[in-house]
Amino acid sequence: MNALLWMLLDLLLAAMLLGLGWAAVATRDLKRGVALFIAFGLLLALAWARLRAPDLALAEAAIGAGIAGALLLAALRSEPQGGQPAAVPSRVFLLTLNLFSVLLAVTVAWALLSALAMGDSVRLAQPVTEHLSQSGVSNPVTAVLLNFRAYDTLLELAVILSAVLGVLALGPARPGYRLPGPVLYGLIRWLVPLLIVTGGYLLWVGAHAPGGAFQAGATLAAAAVLLRLGGVDGAGLPAAVVSRWLLAAGLLAFLAVGLLVTAFGYGFVQYPPDLAAGLILVIESAATLSIAVALALAYIGGWPSRRAQSGSLHTHTTEGGTH
Amino acid sequence: MLSAEIIYGLTGVGLFTLGLRATLLQASLLARILAINVCGAGVFLMFVSIAYQGLAQMQVPDPVPHALVLTGIVVAVSATALALALGRRLRESKDE
Amino acid sequence: MNNLLALPVVLPLLGSLLALVWPRRADWAGLGASVAAFVAAGHIGAEVMRNATLELAVGGWAPGLGIALRADGLSASLLLMSTLVALAAGLYATTYFAEAQKRADFWPLWLLMITALHALLLSGDLFNIYVTLELLGLAAVALAALGGSRAALQAAVRYLTVGLLGSLAFLTGVGLIYAGYGTLDMVMLAGRVDAEPATWVALALMTAGLLIKSALFPMHFWLPSAHANAPAPVSAALSALVVKAAFYLVLRLWLDVFDVALSQASAGLLGLLGASAVIWGSWQAYRAERLKLLAAYSTVAQIGYLFLFIPVLLATEPGEARDLLFGALVLFALTHGFSKSAFFLGAGVILHRAGHDRIAELGGTSRALPVTTFVLALAGIALIGLPPSGTFLAKWQLMTSAIAAGQWLWIPVIAIGTLLAGAYVFRVLGHAFGPGEGVGPSLAWARAELPALLLALVATAVLGLGAAQVWTMVVPGSNAEGVSL
Repeated sequence: MNALLWMLLDLLLAAMLLGLGWAAVATRDLKRGVALFIAFGLLLALAWARLRAPDLALAEAAIGAGIAGALLLAALRSEPQGGQPAAVPSRVFLLTLNLFSVLLAVTVAWALLSALAMGDSVRLAQPVTEHLSQSGVSNPVTAVLLNFRAYDTLLELAVILSAVLGVLALGPARPGYRLPGPVLYGLIRWLVPLLIVTGGYLLWVGAHAPGGAFQAGATLAAAAVLLRLGGVDGAGLPAAVVSRWLLAAGLLAFLAVGLLVTAFGYGFVQYPPDLAAGLILVIESAATLSIAVALALAYIGGWPSRRAQSGSLHTHTTEGGTH
Repeated sequence: MLSAEIIYGLTGVGLFTLGLRATLLQASLLARILAINVCGAGVFLMFVSIAYQGLAQMQVPDPVPHALVLTGIVVAVSATALALALGRRLRESKDE
Repeated sequence: MNNLLALPVVLPLLGSLLALVWPRRADWAGLGASVAAFVAAGHIGAEVMRNATLELAVGGWAPGLGIALRADGLSASLLLMSTLVALAAGLYATTYFAEAQKRADFWPLWLLMITALHALLLSGDLFNIYVTLELLGLAAVALAALGGSRAALQAAVRYLTVGLLGSLAFLTGVGLIYAGYGTLDMVMLAGRVDAEPATWVALALMTAGLLIKSALFPMHFWLPSAHANAPAPVSAALSALVVKAAFYLVLRLWLDVFDVALSQASAGLLGLLGASAVIWGSWQAYRAERLKLLAAYSTVAQIGYLFLFIPVLLATEPGEARDLLFGALVLFALTHGFSKSAFFLGAGVILHRAGHDRIAELGGTSRALPVTTFVLALAGIALIGLPPSGTFLAKWQLMTSAIAAGQWLWIPVIAIGTLLAGAYVFRVLGHAFGPGEGVGPSLAWARAELPALLLALVATAVLGLGAAQVWTMVVPGSNAEGVSL
C-alpha cells in the first residue's frame, strides 16, 4: 500500500515536471515562460528531495531556481514588450523535427532502461562508502566533490570564473534599481543578514550534512541580489581590486593546497588524512566567497560603477522612503 | 509496479527531448536558454535516477551522480549567465 | 614525474589567476605561463618517448573512485603543439590588442581556455572530459565575443547555444555509460565494455555531441562566422586547437574505449560526413571573399580530412600498416594546427594594416608586408599538401592505406579537395603578389609577424622534414591500437 502511494506521488510529480517543462519552453510570452521555469526549478528541487538527494535539492532551489531565475528576470527587463514575432517554421521542418524527437526519446529511453538493468546497481557507491572515513568529511557528496573528485571541482570553479569574466568583458553593468519602498526596505534589512548567516551555516554543515560551498555561495549571492534590488547598485561587493582577489580566491586556495601537499611527498591534491577535514574547510570557505562574488557580478552584469559602490541601503531610504 | 528510478528516468528522457526540440524551434535567445536549461534538467534527472537505483542495496543513494549533477547545475547557471549577457549586448548594439 | 602531468593544467590556470588580480602585469603573467606550459609539455613529450604512457591518479585515489590523468604519444604530441601555438598566438596578441584594457580582459580568458585544452588532452575520466569541454566552450565563446562587432556577438551566441546542446548530448551518453558499466574511467571502461544496445546509443550520443563541437559537416554551420569574426589570435586557437580537441576525443573514444562496439558501417558514415566536409568546405573557401572566412571554411575541410582517416584506420588490420597510418593522422593534425594558426595570424596582420581582409583588394601586399605574404604562402603549402609539408606525407599515406584497404571512395574526394585547396590558396597569393597600392605603411612589426612565421615554418619545414619524430613519439607502445592488448 505504501509503495503504491509513493508510486502515485512519483507519477504525479513526474507529470507535473513534464507539464511545466513543456509549458515553459512552448510559450511565446517570455514573461510567462520565465515564471513557469522558476516554478519548474522549485518542483525539480522537490523531485531531488524525493530521490534522497538533499544536497541537490538545496542547490537546485538556490542556484537552479533562485540565481538562474534572478538572471532571467533581470534579462526580461530589457526584452522588447510583447515578445518576439515568431518565425513560423515550415511544415516539413516541423514534421521532421517531431519525428526525430520521438525517435530520439524512444531510443534513449530504451537505452536507459537496458543500462539500468545491466550489471549491479551499486556502482561507485561501494568504493565511496569504503573510503569515506579517510576523506575527512562524513557527507558522501562533499567527500566526492572535495576529495575523491576534487579535480572536477577545481575545473568547475574555473568554469564559473570563465563565465563571469566573459560577462565582465562584454560591457558595463545593467542599470540599477530605484530606491526601495518601506516594505522592501524592511524585508531586506532582515533578510540580508539572515542570508549571510545561513550561507555561513551551509558552508560549515556541508561536512557532515547536506550543504557545502556551492549552496553557501549561492545564498550569499542571493543576499547581494537583494541588496541590488533594494537600490544598492554595488550590491554589497567590495571595490573592484578586492573583488578580483575574491573571484580568484577559491581557485588560489585549491591550487595552493593542491601544490603545497606535493612538497611533503603527497600527490597533487592528495590531502594528508589527518589534515583532510581542515584543508577541505579552507578550500570550501575560499570557494564560497568566489562563487558568491562571481554569481553576484554575473547578476549585476558587469563591474558596478565606482560612484554606486559608496551607496548604502540607509542613505537611499532616508532620501526616498516614507519609513 | 514502476520503481522511482524508472519513472524519473523516463521523465528525464522526456524533458531532454522536449528541451532539445524547443531549442531548435524557438526564435528568441531567451526562449532557447530556457529550453537548454530544461534539456539539462532532463539529463540531471537521468543521473539522479541512476543514483537512486542503488538505494535498496546500499542504504544510501550513490553519491557520485549527485556530485556530478551538482557540478552540472553550476555549469548550467554559468552558461546561462554568459548567454544572457551576450543577448543583452546584442540588443544594446542594435539600439546603437 | 608523477605530478608532471598536472603541470600543463596548473600553470595556465595560475597564469590566468595572476592576470586576473594584476591586470597591469597581465602580459607578463600570460606569456610566462605559456612558456612554462611549453616546457612542461616538452618534458612530458620526452617522458612519453621513453616510457610510452604516463599516469597520474589525482588525489591518490585509484582511478574509478578518483580521476586519472594520462598521457600517451597521441595526447603528448597534441599537447606540445597546443603549447607552441598558444605561445605564438599569445605573443601576437600582445601586439594585436592595442588597448591595455582589452589585453587585461583577454589574458585570463585565454589562459582558462588553454587550461581547458590541456586538461581535456590529459584527462582519463569521462565526466572530467565533460567539465573540460564546458570550460573550453565557455572560454572560447567569451574570447570570440571580444571581437565586439555585432557579427562577432551573433556568431558567439550561436556557438554557445550549439556547443551547449553538444555538451548535453555528450553528458547523456556519459550517464548511460555510468548506468551500464558503473565506471567513468576510460581504461576501466575499455576493459568492461561490450557490444550492447545501450553502449551503441551512448556512443552515438557522445559522438553526436563531439561532432557538433568539431564542426563536422553538417554540424559545421556555426564555425565560419565564429572563427571569421573573432580576434585573430582567438581565431587561430579556435581553428587550430579547439575543434582539434573534439576530434581527439572522437578518436580516443572510437579507437581506445569503444572499439569492440564499432562496425565498419558506422565508421563509413563518419567517413562520408568527412568527405562531404572536404568538398563543401573547400568549395566555400574557394568562393570566400574575406581572408578569415576562407581560413574558417578551410578548417571545415581539413577537419573532414581528419575524419576520413577513421574508416581507413578501422579497415586496416592492427599492425605496422595501421601504426603508419595512425602516425600520418597525428602528423596531419599537427601540421594543420600550425599552418592554420599561422594563416590566421597572418590574416590578422593584414587586417590590422588595411582595415579589411577582402581578398580581391589584397594587391600590393607582397611589397608592403613581405614577411606576412611569405607566411601565407608557407601556410598555404601546408594546407594544400605540397611537399615538404607534413600534410603531403600524411595525405600520401592516407591514399596508400585507402587503396590497400580497398576504400577507393576516398581517393577522388582527397584529390578534389586538394585541387580546390590549391585553387583557393593560389587565388589569395595571386592577389597578394598582384599590383596595387599595398595594404598600408610598410613597417614590419617583428613581434607581430615573427610568431606567425615560426608557426608556418614548423608546419611546412619542420614537420615535413622531421616527420619521423612524430612516428617515434606516437607509435611505439602507444595505446591507440586498443588498450585491451
